Amino acid sequence: MADDGAKVSDPAERSRPYFAAAARGVLALQRCTSCGASAFPLRSRCGACGSTALEWHEAAGAGRVFGHGQLARSSVPELEGRLPLTLLLVDLDEGVRIPARLAAGESGVRAGDRVTLGFEAAGDGTPLPVFRREARRAEP
Amino acid sequence: MTARDSLAGATAISGLGMTELGRVYERTASDFAAEAVLAALADAGLAKSELDGLLLNAGISQGVDLSLVQTLGLRELSLLTQMNAYGSSAGQMVQYAAMAVHHGLARNVACVFADAPLLRGQRAGQAYGGARARRPGLGSVLPSLGFAGPIPFYALHAQRHMDVYGTTQDQLGAIALAARAWAGKNPRATMREPLSLAEYHASPWVVAPFHVLDCCLVSNGAICVIVTRAERARAGPRPPVYVHGLGQAHQLEWSDASPSLAQRSSRAAFEMAGCAPADIEMCQIYDCYTFTVLTTLEDYGFCKRGEGGPFAQSGALAPGGALPMNTGGGMLSSYYMWGMTPISEAVIQARGDAGERQVARKSRIAVSGNGGIFNHHATLVLSPHALG
Repeated sequence: MADDGAKVSDPAERSRPYFAAAARGVLALQRCTSCGASAFPLRSRCGACGSTALEWHEAAGAGRVFGHGQLARSSVPELEGRLPLTLLLVDLDEGVRIPARLAAGESGVRAGDRVTLGFEAAGDGTPLPVFRREARRAEP
Repeated sequence: MTARDSLAGATAISGLGMTELGRVYERTASDFAAEAVLAALADAGLAKSELDGLLLNAGISQGVDLSLVQTLGLRELSLLTQMNAYGSSAGQMVQYAAMAVHHGLARNVACVFADAPLLRGQRAGQAYGGARARRPGLGSVLPSLGFAGPIPFYALHAQRHMDVYGTTQDQLGAIALAARAWAGKNPRATMREPLSLAEYHASPWVVAPFHVLDCCLVSNGAICVIVTRAERARAGPRPPVYVHGLGQAHQLEWSDASPSLAQRSSRAAFEMAGCAPADIEMCQIYDCYTFTVLTTLEDYGFCKRGEGGPFAQSGALAPGGALPMNTGGGMLSSYYMWGMTPISEAVIQARGDAGERQVARKSRIAVSGNGGIFNHHATLVLSPHALG
């Protein structure tokens, strides 16, 4: 589905494909149909080649931890009573870096770890991208 | 060898105006800005009618705009704009002012930052992180995850540095302690009481690895500098602070692209100034967080990549150290006037006005500004000496 974002300025409307995919447990990213570059966050024009022909596609949901940190206090009211939480910046294999959280029950993550995507619901039901460390294959 | 850029050393800062800074209440950003501009004019020995350029940078409270022209009754302006690239704005204003006066588009350009986000009885974090409206669409995911304001992003970058290079919490702490040691010598500083490493570690976590004391203050006030041609500055009442080199770099994508913005920006400034990192005798580094300092020191070439932690821990940055840094206490301990905090301290030191904290070696002072989440960077090389 090509989304000519230049003609659709309402961010809620433009984000609809993202949330529809997230409800199915899938991370949707915009991708340029001209040069193939993935994009995050939302944009109306490809930053690599300038094309406005962007489509939504399903990311593979795998990547590498760029950075992580333990959120201990926050001004966001809905996080009250849920802290601490581990925040992540994940470099997806598609070439974009996204903010996310470490999945519930996971710990001991380090920069460079391979991780895979899931979703957990926020207090208001918003699906949030979370990652767990990839099961390490036994060394041959 | 390439010809030296004609802008190198051609301009100077001839005036500095600073209002009361910190927890100063019941005043607007516009009022602070007007006071700072008038103070800078008086410092430069200029009449209001001699001011023909004005560049504005409003802070988080966005409380000053082009109506400042009316407030000040300025009638001779040939250069005017309001600009914002966050923490690098101040360095950028000096650059645009320098270009304008060098080419004769204006004679005296005031560059002013003003902000008044602090309200009586409110915590600093509320003034910054809490006031943001919830964004629609995909933008709503960020705060729901816990990414509100810039702190989480910087903290995660810091943790990466710790994982990759073995940087320690004590090393981040060394930067906070150095700032506080300098602040103790600055009568204008907000946090002047001595800080121990134990107190640093006991400071509450915000986003680990950042304690509260890894994060800068929030302050009310304004700072203004006047930029003019070098020969005009020499005729003024105060010692000129020459602008030897300038650089900027910007990029909004998140990537590991090398070289970093701070590298690109500093290389441009050092090249214009005709100097190497080893020639810098003092630095005023944008310290929104302890980690920003650490990574800027590496990017500027004051130490190798990954060695910012041991470098900070060596005591080099503290009073008596080999590379005195943020000699007014920086934004971590003194006052948060975005990029004007490091610029103003460089001017004070270059003029020899720093009193108890005056550093003897000040021939070349590197000044940095950093905006966004490592999205904008500006570098100045300032000096009390004309570029020979």
